[in-house]
Amino acid sequence: MGLTSIIFALFSIIVIVIYFITPKRFKWMVLLISSIFFLFYDNFSLYTIIQALVVLLSSYIFGLLIDKYKTTKKGNLFFLLGIGIILCLLLYLKYTNLFLTTLNHFCNLFNINYTFNLVYRNSLIGISYYSLIMISYLVDIKRGTCKAQKNIFKCMLFMSYFPILNSGPFIRYNDTKNDLYEGHKFNYYSFCSGLLRICFGFVKIMVISQRFAVIVDTIYGNLSSYSGIYILIAVLLFTLQLYSNFSGSIDIIMGISEIIGIKLPENFTSPLLSKTITEFWRNWHITLGAWLKDYIFYPLLKSNFMQSLNVRCKKIFGKKIGKKIPLYLSMFIMWILIGIWHGGAYTFIIGTGLLQFIYIFLEDILQPVALKINNKLKINTNSFIYRLYQNIRTYLLFSFSMIFFRASSVSNAIQIIKSIFKNHVTTGNKLFDLASKGGMLEFLIFIIAIFLVFIIEVLEKKGNVREKILKQNIVVRWFIIYAILFLIIIFGCYGPGYDPATFIYRQF
Amino acid sequence: MKNFFKFIIFIIIFIILYCFVFKILWIEKNPISYFYDEPKDSLDVIYIGGSNVHSHFNTVLAYNKYGFTTGCLSSSAQPFIAVQYLIKESEKRQTPNLYIIDISRVADSYSKIEEGAIRKVTDTMKFSKNKLDAINAHLNYSNIKKEDYINYYFSQFLYHDIWKQPWVISFNLGLDKSYYKGYKMSYDNLVRQKQIKSDYSNDIIELPEENKIVLQKLLNYIKKENLNVLFIVPKRLYKLEENKKINDAISIIEDNKYNVLNFNLVNDFDVDYSKDFLDFAHLNVYGATKFTLYFSDYLSKNYELPDHRKDKNYLSWEEEYNQLKVNFKKLSGKNFDSLLENNMNN
Repeated sequence: MGLTSIIFALFSIIVIVIYFITPKRFKWMVLLISSIFFLFYDNFSLYTIIQALVVLLSSYIFGLLIDKYKTTKKGNLFFLLGIGIILCLLLYLKYTNLFLTTLNHFCNLFNINYTFNLVYRNSLIGISYYSLIMISYLVDIKRGTCKAQKNIFKCMLFMSYFPILNSGPFIRYNDTKNDLYEGHKFNYYSFCSGLLRICFGFVKIMVISQRFAVIVDTIYGNLSSYSGIYILIAVLLFTLQLYSNFSGSIDIIMGISEIIGIKLPENFTSPLLSKTITEFWRNWHITLGAWLKDYIFYPLLKSNFMQSLNVRCKKIFGKKIGKKIPLYLSMFIMWILIGIWHGGAYTFIIGTGLLQFIYIFLEDILQPVALKINNKLKINTNSFIYRLYQNIRTYLLFSFSMIFFRASSVSNAIQIIKSIFKNHVTTGNKLFDLASKGGMLEFLIFIIAIFLVFIIEVLEKKGNVREKILKQNIVVRWFIIYAILFLIIIFGCYGPGYDPATFIYRQF
Repeated sequence: MKNFFKFIIFIIIFIILYCFVFKILWIEKNPISYFYDEPKDSLDVIYIGGSNVHSHFNTVLAYNKYGFTTGCLSSSAQPFIAVQYLIKESEKRQTPNLYIIDISRVADSYSKIEEGAIRKVTDTMKFSKNKLDAINAHLNYSNIKKEDYINYYFSQFLYHDIWKQPWVISFNLGLDKSYYKGYKMSYDNLVRQKQIKSDYSNDIIELPEENKIVLQKLLNYIKKENLNVLFIVPKRLYKLEENKKINDAISIIEDNKYNVLNFNLVNDFDVDYSKDFLDFAHLNVYGATKFTLYFSDYLSKNYELPDHRKDKNYLSWEEEYNQLKVNFKKLSGKNFDSLLENNMNN
């Protein structure tokens, strides 16, 4: 059930209507039933039921046991068991092929004439999301920052709250439990604000992202027919496509939740206006970054191993460099895990893990050098041009890493990079034809769509756009809303040939 | 409560705006959409069928000569399944003295119905239960994938970006006129393509079972509604097998006590196969003029059809006829009246 499909729209409307007409104490049950329906809508079988039950029962039973025995050895055992079961299931369903590919590489390396066949695992939608969500639930219980949920059905709702199963964001038990279990009354302002946010999501996905997808998919799908500037444009456009698609789907998810009365954490805060990759990742997929920091990076940095490494490194390399080594090591592990989370393939590990680590590492160690150069050349780092240069640099670096993310294999990614530096030739459709589908008007819309991405970024950075619209008088307000609705209806890419289930982040 | 009413008003305004935009940007005009423009109970004849209807029968010429009004419920490659639903559609607005049904596509295989042929009927029909029934009936017989069904119920899914074609807006705003009360006359209709006449066979091949069912359902409906119907087989070239299957349909219709006028067996109007066709299946404007003069005369003599030429409420028919003459002159450089005179003299 894709977020922009008619079936999802009907489903959401029905859930919202039933939610508000149901008595307060039963409202959470409406969300639970609809979430179960959504969870199994595309993939209902005994196998997928078992998957969901394993995660649910491990979190629920071990959550209660950890809560009871948290300060004892038993508590530690239950904690490890709970997390171990969820992780094993996740690894089995999502990362078997990564393991088999690695084995095949080793077989090749050592001239062993054996190839492991890759396998297809039928997994439930959102398994990467709810597995991490339930791990954080167990960790929070262990840390004593939250109490275990005694009602298994409420625990199930926390695990499977339907809007987030598509593309996140990652929620925390303590932040969401009240909103999930308390019945909310209909609030007209939240309704309007949520609806407006859903419209923004549709604009991002159907007007912008799908428009770029035509070019990106054609060029990436026919690499032998394109080279030079064509590949470069596809690479640069893919970042815009990915961002519009992902942030648009988050807008729809947040909008639905806002209507119901559930506040979810923001996942994006104008990442395309970031000056550095470090800043970029503070604004991009924020909840994943926060999850990994809280549950991987800091615990790792504070672990006994890292603490002793810190002491040793300080002795060997001196205080300044020595204290950085455990930090970089923890960061490296965290980034590799981010890469692995994105998919069971080396392309993801390199694109969203290793390269991001290298960027941030270089930013950190080169910062003093950059400062010196700027001072010597008397560059005004607050000027618009310099900030623009920083934005462009960040955009280019991120786009480069996304070559791996989008490519079918590492060798495919290398072929793409090499192609960028070849002559600008095409035996396929010319760029104008791809962007315009033969019409000047469509080409104009395509160009406007590119600017629209950045206009939205600037507006969102300046403040809450929806709040500003909703504060206008009724004529202006309705005019803007009608304009947005017709923007989607007239300029949106949908209909035959458009698959609403093709959300880039839905696969994770 | 205040907010609830506000929301309802918002939705109503949205629907009004949506219908307006949809009309301007998306709907491709064909005779079915012009049919809705006619005032209620103003049509004397309803003519249903494929493109032979709107390219063969010049409705405004028939009006000019005999004063009766004809509405065309026609569309290119119209599947025969559509006829029953189009009759139902016309019954909502009109009470014609006569229905004319073109049966040239009665033998077509329903499994091969193309998307465009269905859409030209169903996308143009106004939203109603009858429209949904028409869509369901077509889809039931066709081989169209189930996942694509939704695009037939919500046609804007397909057409939402057709507005980028510059001709659509000008066409829908009436700036590019090629239909005159359902009759189509554009530059294409002036083409003269030589055809080699083949004899129409009187042999019979049995219609496929599903075609028989559709035809019988239609005949039962006509009987039930007690409608005055004339079936016709338009003059054109047919494949031999198609010709023979149509003959089976004719015998079924005649068994049900309805008249069939097979123009392929009528030699009373002199169609010239070397000049009067624009392709194997369609008469050009010259052939259509000959056919209209003959057929409108036949209708006025054999059916009780009123003459509205002195009625001020029907002025638009005369205006459309005059416009047709002007546009014919623009397109061909010839005078439509002299074309008529030649035909009348022949």
